Amino acid sequence: MTAERPRPRAFRLDDQGKVVSDEAVRRPTVVEETADPYEREVEEALTAGDSSEKAIEAAQKNGMIARTLFSWGGLFWTASGALVSLALTLWLTSFIEGLFARNSALGYVGLALAALAALALLILAMREALAMSRQRAIAKLHINLAQARDRDDRDAARRLIGELSALYTARPETARARAHLADLTREIVDGRDLIDIAERALMQALDDEARREIADAAKRVSLVTAISPRALLDVLFVIAQAVRLMRRISEIYGGRPGLLGFIRLARSVGAHIAITGGMAVGDSLLQQVLGHGIAAKLSARLGEGVLNGLLTARVGLSAMAVCRPMPFAALPSPGVKDVAPFLFGDRKDKDA
Amino acid sequence: MSKFADFALGTRIAATSLADYISGRGLRLGVTGLSRAGKTVFITALIHHLTRAAAPAVRSGKNMLPVFKVHAEGRLARARLEPQPDDTVPRFAYEEHLAALTGGGDSKARQWPESTRRISELRLTIEFERRQGWRPGPAELTIDIVDYPGEWLLDLPLLDKTYAEWSRETLEASAAATRAQLAADWRGFNATLNPDGPADEDAARKGAELFTAYLRASRSERYALSTLPPGRFLMPGDLEGSPALTFAPLTLTREEIAAGSLAAMMERRYEAYKKHVVRPFFRDHFARLDRQIVLVDALGAINSGPSAVRDLETAMTGVLSAFRTGRSNFISTLFRPKIDRILFAATKADHLHHSSHDRLEAILRHLTARAIARAETVGASVDVIALAAVRATREGRLSHGGRELDAIIGAPLAGERLGGEIFDGESEAAIFPGELPADSRSVFRGEGLAVPDGEADYRFLRFRPPIARMADDNLIAPLPHIRLDRALEFLFGDRLA
Repeated sequence: MTAERPRPRAFRLDDQGKVVSDEAVRRPTVVEETADPYEREVEEALTAGDSSEKAIEAAQKNGMIARTLFSWGGLFWTASGALVSLALTLWLTSFIEGLFARNSALGYVGLALAALAALALLILAMREALAMSRQRAIAKLHINLAQARDRDDRDAARRLIGELSALYTARPETARARAHLADLTREIVDGRDLIDIAERALMQALDDEARREIADAAKRVSLVTAISPRALLDVLFVIAQAVRLMRRISEIYGGRPGLLGFIRLARSVGAHIAITGGMAVGDSLLQQVLGHGIAAKLSARLGEGVLNGLLTARVGLSAMAVCRPMPFAALPSPGVKDVAPFLFGDRKDKDA
Repeated sequence: MSKFADFALGTRIAATSLADYISGRGLRLGVTGLSRAGKTVFITALIHHLTRAAAPAVRSGKNMLPVFKVHAEGRLARARLEPQPDDTVPRFAYEEHLAALTGGGDSKARQWPESTRRISELRLTIEFERRQGWRPGPAELTIDIVDYPGEWLLDLPLLDKTYAEWSRETLEASAAATRAQLAADWRGFNATLNPDGPADEDAARKGAELFTAYLRASRSERYALSTLPPGRFLMPGDLEGSPALTFAPLTLTREEIAAGSLAAMMERRYEAYKKHVVRPFFRDHFARLDRQIVLVDALGAINSGPSAVRDLETAMTGVLSAFRTGRSNFISTLFRPKIDRILFAATKADHLHHSSHDRLEAILRHLTARAIARAETVGASVDVIALAAVRATREGRLSHGGRELDAIIGAPLAGERLGGEIFDGESEAAIFPGELPADSRSVFRGEGLAVPDGEADYRFLRFRPPIARMADDNLIAPLPHIRLDRALEFLFGDRLA
């Protein structure tokens, strides 16, 4: 083995960078300078993590895992909320006192109802908090998985895949995939490979379901817009569908957004659309405009329907990106065309 | 009295920390490394890059610090050197060191700065635009950097050792294979001493002299040993000839050290050394660090063989255990400042081809494994990189005798030799330094010294500094580097967000 190994050598160079040597004539030794490798390394470091992944993380930070300790808006709403609840409590106390004054039995009934309402409110609040923490955990998992995949970190991958499986223990249809992953975490599989396998095993079914939901919503929206008699009606319908779609996608991927959780989710989705809006100019926006143009030529209402459908699909895709507990890596990230091909009218290049 | 002084100092530290915490402006960077690890060069390059990065003449060229975010995003407005903050500590001679590195306009005179003989410090203020946090907009970050002889660092582990423990360990170490012959003189003299006999100033002085000679010999390039406390014996600084340095380990046979005996005198001087030399040094310069970079000259030790590498490991483990690491929070920032980011850097990475850097990093990881594990368990973030604060070589490809070799091209220092060639320090050469082993543990295994040149698998030459380029404003442009920007980003990128 040592015979195979080249020994350290030195070759003196002259001013022109040529090797000075006696045997140069017989067997020339050539030295050529190579391109600077550190610049490449730097470039890799700078472009680490593709832009779509960065957009998702930025969007998640904007809403789902935002930890703003203080903001004037927050203070305003907190203070106003406290005032309103104070007023309500005051009104309730005087109301129940009034009931007691009239008839003690009525008073007790009122008191019991108030207590029940308070209990229900408490439980709702707890569920809300739980849902928020769950949503935050999923977003964190997404970021951590992306990082572990980037670094090919096996220990982190094993831990995170465990967390990911735990997220879906209540889904019987994922049982086989989870068992498979649990086996793999005990074998020698590299971090990146493990994460890719998990994505194919666990996410495929969920992705399909989410895409179906997006397609259905987009269809419904474009149809209703096209035939609705009033503009106000279809605006309301589009908003309702977008809300429903976001909630549904979050549920598919394991989140259960309540009210506050939904507000945060909506902020993330909005941020994601805003960030990726510019990126999409190259492909789908052009087609959107084209599609809209052709449809609009046929009929103004039909054109509006197509546009609203596209909008809904974009909302759905953004919701999918920010709700998914892992980044799109092994599986391709779907585009508007994949979920709503019917809006473009040509089914031939559906898979392209 | 010293308790009170400690307490007063602690209070002052807490007050400064509080002020820094509120303003978010101060940062103490600990540049840690044994002698010849490259502290001075690192600090000089860091200051040069930061102060020059935003200059228009440099900015127009290629971005030298692409990974350093605040600069890459164009938010670095200016960095300037502050007037010396501490009246009792000399200023870091940045201008002289830079002049030495670049030859001060005469590229023939360029050379590495001389080894540091005394402590010095410098304060650097970075003006930048804050993007996140409470107050976006113009902000400043003040970085305090201390340079000191790396030898002194070896004293830190002594703080927890009694004289008896230190004597025993030093004697045991000096009996080991590589050291035994170097220590022969001193050990011979030591054997004639009676620790229980009356205190004898002559014997103490002679012992200290021979002991110092042994330490100096062990440090020479051929052996390149590292674990050689006490550090002031190697680099006395302003203590040259002071009685605090006239002691040496003794073979203690009994538990008790009798009063008035030679051993008692030695012990007293050892304790005095700890109290008056080591503790103030540690307290004044290391007790309050926020970030730390640990520079390790792994290649020098690898050159000298497994015993030098193992010795370096022992020395680094001992030194690093003296620092306080851990995740900081508000309370700890005030009362027990901790280092929350440590960067381990294998310096002189330009002495080998970049394809071997992964292996160099693996070796460094192995060298500092215990320190890394400790830092990670307490929540500090840790990174390991191969670094060259000043890059003296380029890379190339050699085809020789039908074989393709990855080579580095540069001017080796005068007197460096490899395979029959002895360099004069002027002419350039293409060097194939050999490949580091794939298994990082193999550089730790084996006995004694490096094999002779002809049989070695690798040999790392030292190079002269690169020839400096002038920027458009006729000042020296920052010197090339390897991953200095990554180091900067890791060390204080988060404070410049």
